[in-house]
Amino acid sequence: MGEIPGRQSPDAGSSNLSSSSASLRCSTAGTPRRRLLNMAWFLVLSSVFLCNLMKTLLPSISSFLTKMVQKDAEQESEMRAEIHQMKKEQSSISMMDEFARYARLERKINKTTDKLKTHVQSRTAQQAKMKWVVNIVFYILQAAVMISLIWKYYSDPVTVVPPKWIAPVERLVAFPTGVAGGVGITCWLVVCNKVVTLGLSAIS
Amino acid sequence: MEASEEKTEKPSSGVSAAQRRAELRRRKLLMNSEDRMNRIVGFAKNDSDNSGNIVIVRLEPRFHLDLDRTQPWSSSSPSPRPSELPGASLEDEMGGLRQRAKLERGDDLSGSPRRSLQQYLSRFDDAMKLRSQLANDKQAQDGGSDSEELDPFRIFRLIGSVLLAVFVRVFVCKYLSIFAPFLTLELAYMGLSKYFPKVEKKTQTTVLTAALLLSGIPAEVISRSMDTYRRMGDVFSDLCVYFFTFIISHEIVLLIASEAP
Repeated sequence: MGEIPGRQSPDAGSSNLSSSSASLRCSTAGTPRRRLLNMAWFLVLSSVFLCNLMKTLLPSISSFLTKMVQKDAEQESEMRAEIHQMKKEQSSISMMDEFARYARLERKINKTTDKLKTHVQSRTAQQAKMKWVVNIVFYILQAAVMISLIWKYYSDPVTVVPPKWIAPVERLVAFPTGVAGGVGITCWLVVCNKVVTLGLSAIS
Repeated sequence: MEASEEKTEKPSSGVSAAQRRAELRRRKLLMNSEDRMNRIVGFAKNDSDNSGNIVIVRLEPRFHLDLDRTQPWSSSSPSPRPSELPGASLEDEMGGLRQRAKLERGDDLSGSPRRSLQQYLSRFDDAMKLRSQLANDKQAQDGGSDSEELDPFRIFRLIGSVLLAVFVRVFVCKYLSIFAPFLTLELAYMGLSKYFPKVEKKTQTTVLTAALLLSGIPAEVISRSMDTYRRMGDVFSDLCVYFFTFIISHEIVLLIASEAP
């Protein structure tokens, strides 16, 4: 973002800031370009929204990636179908009359079931590993986004209002910018995070 | 003749000796049941010699749990009770004094070992139950979403916060701080809460609650603290929604004002 005329640095005296914030809004309000440049609050809000949305979609993403990575997924369904078929055949056989065939089928079923169990265990382990990797990558990305936002807006407020509106907590709200009447990045991040979480939980 | 008689006596004496040995072993097992139980539950015990000069030192409180005991207590008790001490004769002065001191200490603790063991076992059971509850709650959380539940009163609060924020931005903010109407709203919610159906929220067992329970804090105190924490969370949610709506409406008003000719 370019330097906006009328916006003073935090080093300037706070006595001038209350008037400057009002003049800031007046000077920037008339120019659409500057208005767009001043939409820091919207940028933070959209970043938080995207992060929370990705968080809710993480399980789907990890299962999708697992299916892509897994090569022998059809084998499991074939084994299940085979076991089902053998059980069906076994139920039609009388154990008393055809014990040998019954026992042979039983052994086959057991063998295939063991194979299926091993396959399912390896698939589950792979799924858990993929889920873990996806979660780690997501949290690293989220941390990077948040840190970059805080770095960018450390000294600039995301938006400015007249200080008396947010008295007596104007200093807390403005942290860490120090601009009276400004809304600091930390306060806005917390508020956006809470609201987006509530909104997404209401939708889901 | 004598040799044959000896030979015939030997098997019978051998049988009777074997029987005698078996009987001795059985008696020894029955008599030492208390020692075995002490070893099982982990109480340390230094056994004394039967000569009586060496004093039995009991490091842990005595614990007696003998379900199949056939003999009375006093006959197999390894250390005499203090009440027996005055009548007992002390062969060695030093050993006797030591024995008295240690027996007194053991007697003070004799009332509490069963209680402490029961307390330990009950805490162990609680820990096992909490562990299973934690595992179930964790499965439920993994299976379902981790979102907060929205009951009717909560939805009412959030909508009220949104409406108040818009109203304050349009009419009130020029005259006073925006947090004053918010505080009034929260006071109103406190009064209105009783008119809404109360939703019983199941207390989730977390590691923190399990640790607090096991540390001895009553469950009532924990549930009240959790309830207070939940109420504070509701107020914080209202504040966040209120402030967010205020800022958004402020920006929209500015946008409309800038686009207006």
